[in-house]
Amino acid sequence: MATEHETQKWAGVLKLGVTDRGGRSVATSQYHEGALRVLRPHYLDGSSQVTYTAVNPGGAYFGADRYLLDIAVDDGASLLLTTQSATKVYKTPQGPASQQMRVELGPGAVFDYLPDQLIVYREGAYRQATTVTMDPTASLTMSEIITPGWAPDGAPFKYRQLRMRTEIRVATEQGSKLLAVDQLRLNPDELGDVQGVGLLEGFSHTGQLLLADARIDDALYARLAELVDESATRSGITRAGLETLGVRCVVVRSLAHSTEEIAALHHSIVNLTRRLWRGQPDLDLRKH
Amino acid sequence: MVGSPLAPLLGMMQLTDSALPTGAFSHSLGFETYMHREELEDEASFSAWIRMFIEQQLTFTDALAIRLVYAAASFEDVAALDELVTAQALPQQIREGGITMGKRLLSLATASYPSAWVEAYAAGVAEGRLSSHQAVVWGVIARNLEVPVEEAVASHLYATVISLTQNAVRAIPLGQNTGQRVIRAAQDWVGRAVEESATLTEEDLGAIAPGLEIAQMQHERQRARLFMS
Repeated sequence: MATEHETQKWAGVLKLGVTDRGGRSVATSQYHEGALRVLRPHYLDGSSQVTYTAVNPGGAYFGADRYLLDIAVDDGASLLLTTQSATKVYKTPQGPASQQMRVELGPGAVFDYLPDQLIVYREGAYRQATTVTMDPTASLTMSEIITPGWAPDGAPFKYRQLRMRTEIRVATEQGSKLLAVDQLRLNPDELGDVQGVGLLEGFSHTGQLLLADARIDDALYARLAELVDESATRSGITRAGLETLGVRCVVVRSLAHSTEEIAALHHSIVNLTRRLWRGQPDLDLRKH
Repeated sequence: MVGSPLAPLLGMMQLTDSALPTGAFSHSLGFETYMHREELEDEASFSAWIRMFIEQQLTFTDALAIRLVYAAASFEDVAALDELVTAQALPQQIREGGITMGKRLLSLATASYPSAWVEAYAAGVAEGRLSSHQAVVWGVIARNLEVPVEEAVASHLYATVISLTQNAVRAIPLGQNTGQRVIRAAQDWVGRAVEESATLTEEDLGAIAPGLEIAQMQHERQRARLFMS
């Protein structure tokens, strides 16, 4: 992995290491190059959690652009990573834009990844690969919302390809063990009807929320399922993956007619788990 | 039996027969959710569904998994594949269905088609280190029988299509002749899935469109159910 990084050219790199300093999470290492950087950190509530906002000064991901995010949250530290605005992928004639993210979570570490939506425009192609390695006592939340950009003729879904792969591993004494792999694939270009059965089924937006935490029990799952039922989206919820060293994984996947409908469901779930597990108040990212 | 030129064909016919007792008759693999939504009611709508299912799950999971078994350098690769196939099956009923049918096939193989890999696989499952998945188990048996890889992939996909169509004939219901027309039409789609899967790599395993996966998740909490998935 390290050699691969050193020999490849990245359009943007962001590395962030967060550590607990006397009950407050702080970045002890921070590095950026190219078209990725972070804004000054915030503490949004009374908790120890630090919030970083990733910014893409280029405004969008272009063809063959490759981005790397390397995140480490040490023992007992808590990081919320969000974005300043939607990630936009424009026409990519040179090949798909891609983002690779690696996340390491230590014992008791918390990582909430709550970016704005991804918008893929006409003739855009995007691939995202995320690998998380978490201690069995760490807590992971990852959200994604995918929106079609509109083509000049007003028709949505003229993007070429969307691929998102997230692999969650649990650290063991010998190395790590696979917990779950989430894979999303949509190729509107090659499919006869991307609105068809099994695909977007008449909807325009899709999203997913992944939770991995040892404290997900049947009672919590039932409450999460209620939130899914109450949502304006068409969503499914399931217990995903292979329970590994007590860590459980839940995935919610959605179809909807707007970003806001999926964001509302994700926020309701995240507000519940953050309150239950860490006593945090409702999320307010103060972006708008 | 071993050494007979007919052994691969006859073994394949036995193990991909829709009467094989793996429990396939009790799985819809998601189509029951569409029935519940009143979206699967005739030949056209079921044909569209099964074609999508072949292009999605059967291409990116089952077909690719069998090819990866054939490409495995050692049983360690098969064990890693077993873990990956299980971890990527997010909907609980799909994951558990794959495991249940895999275990049944593995126990049939232990009795009738023993080999070093079948024994290693069965031991891993017995010790709880491995989960088993029907496509991976079939790949292990077919490889040992020296069934050509394209035939191993095609026969598993086609057997799955036949089972699902028979289940749809009973459940929707569709006429028996209608079911046979769908199965015949599916030959082209299965053929394309065999070709498409040859272009894929391990990191493609389990790639899926959202609608199907949501339907498979929603089935868990559907009230009246004929099928286990």
